[in-house]
Amino acid sequence: MFTRGTLIYIAQRIVLIGFTVLAVSSIVFLGIHRLPGDALFNEKLRGQAYQVLLHHYGLDQPLYLQYWNFIVGVVTRGDLGESLVNRGTRITPLVLRETLVSAQVGGFALIFTIGLGLILGMVAAVRQNTWLDYVLTTTSVIGYSMPNFVIAAFLILVFGIWLGNITGGTFYYQLGGWRGDIGQLWLPAFALGFPYASIVARLTRASMLEVIRQDYIRTARAKGLTESVIMIRHALRNALIPVITILGPLVIGIITGSVVIENFFGIPGLGKEFAQSILNRDYAIVIGVFTMYAALVGLANLLVDLAYVVIDPRIRY
Amino acid sequence: MATAAAMVTSAIEPEQSSLWSDAWRRLRKNRMALVASVYLALLVAVALVALVYTPYRMSAIGIAPTYSGPSAAHWFGADELGRDILSRLMVGAQVSLIVGVGTQLLVLAVGVPIGLMAGYFRGWFDSVVTFVINVFYGIPDVLVAMIMVFLLGPSLNNIIIAIVATRWMDMARLVRGQAFSLREREFVEAGRASGAKPFKMLFGHILPNALGPIIIQATLGIPSAILFEAFLSFLGVGVQPPTPSWGSMANEGVLAIQYAPHMVIFPSVALSLTLMAFNFLGDGLRDALDPRSRR
Repeated sequence: MFTRGTLIYIAQRIVLIGFTVLAVSSIVFLGIHRLPGDALFNEKLRGQAYQVLLHHYGLDQPLYLQYWNFIVGVVTRGDLGESLVNRGTRITPLVLRETLVSAQVGGFALIFTIGLGLILGMVAAVRQNTWLDYVLTTTSVIGYSMPNFVIAAFLILVFGIWLGNITGGTFYYQLGGWRGDIGQLWLPAFALGFPYASIVARLTRASMLEVIRQDYIRTARAKGLTESVIMIRHALRNALIPVITILGPLVIGIITGSVVIENFFGIPGLGKEFAQSILNRDYAIVIGVFTMYAALVGLANLLVDLAYVVIDPRIRY
Repeated sequence: MATAAAMVTSAIEPEQSSLWSDAWRRLRKNRMALVASVYLALLVAVALVALVYTPYRMSAIGIAPTYSGPSAAHWFGADELGRDILSRLMVGAQVSLIVGVGTQLLVLAVGVPIGLMAGYFRGWFDSVVTFVINVFYGIPDVLVAMIMVFLLGPSLNNIIIAIVATRWMDMARLVRGQAFSLREREFVEAGRASGAKPFKMLFGHILPNALGPIIIQATLGIPSAILFEAFLSFLGVGVQPPTPSWGSMANEGVLAIQYAPHMVIFPSVALSLTLMAFNFLGDGLRDALDPRSRR
């Protein structure tokens, strides 16, 4: 499956990701330093104390030296610096821990998105032009028309407030447990994934409709296979290929969508940190989170491209 | 099936119908698209009315008990500062429509000429454009928009610029592909042979023939721009108070979701209905203008 060519391709891509990450963090670093004011202003320090703080963060140095120290720190030690608001908090471990939390929510949302989308799309295709098909296609337009925070608000209203506390009154995700708690995760995952599930359903329906008219499906029927075996083993596998093409945008959509959803449900992940650090003007963390996001998106794209190879053996790099 | 239907209609009505009147006829038959157009017409009317009249001043605080629910005086209730939610929703409609339509006009202005030239002239210009488009696609749009709004400062203009920066390539890529295939057709060759200047070729011959897909793309781009603005406002980096945006209103409502759910419900419903209407209209236009591509 992974030939030598593929491995070389992976290596090239990883080098490219490294350069992209460096470029993104440089743009944000230099861009941020053009902004007026800084987080330290909030502390209303004067004279000596302010100078001590500036020196502590190296902000008294000229910009090119700050930039050089930042780049050297990132490249050699993977060190993104220290939070400007919470003194003494190193950013790299913080961001890594938050990424783990986000990955759990996002991974759950992804499984949910693809699973639900495939099932709905398949059902709509098999029952083409029946009332069920119309209901499902209309629902899918509604699904991707609803912003994820609107879905989240209604989920909380219905399940968290009107139906009583199904989720135990808290959406706060407990740190520490590796697998998290499905009981707490399914609401955020649903809100995060539902718009994309609608898109997956639409695509699956369209490509299933094309596939099930082909000759080899008729052959399978003539052999006397049951309908479910034909649909799942023969039709779905080929219908999946167009669906994979949106896997990339889908993963990126879930990563960026998590910014809203994590703030909504109070999940202490990367997305919450992203919005909070911007509102707090904690520029050091803003740079760190952007860097992490650039790396994540690059890696996600790479994984998606590799998924093509696994699902469609005709593709080679 | 399609050819059979065409034969039947041509037998019944022998007069010729142009592409556009044909599309109009198909669009009118699409019930969802029709309902959506009526809703959008109403929304535009509301936004225009809000220019001269709102039930209360949208920024007037304390004119109703804070967090009070819907009542006869305040149909949609009041928010955490006692402001009238109906008035704020009406002004919010302006913001959403300006962002949605404004970004698409700019996207058209940027994407169409670039796409036309890249697809028609090919060569090094096409290579450069394709490269830039791919670079822009490589970076997640929300991050680009947030960096831009963060660095430029939040205002309606900057939000529109940020959204255009993340959306122009959709249009450029589409138009490039259209121009790419259209330039090989006989009528283009005929135009060139009769000595038409490049400008005339691009905007007089290629563009009118690519208009259908462009209209569809622009219509479907409007809801994604509105959603983008709501998203930015929801995170607090969008339109700044006291100007209401449906996204920021939903954000304020979320904080009070336990005791004043109407604060989040009304803006959410307005936002969802509007996005849905644009999507249904865009889908209807696609079916009408390009009958071969069935969903």
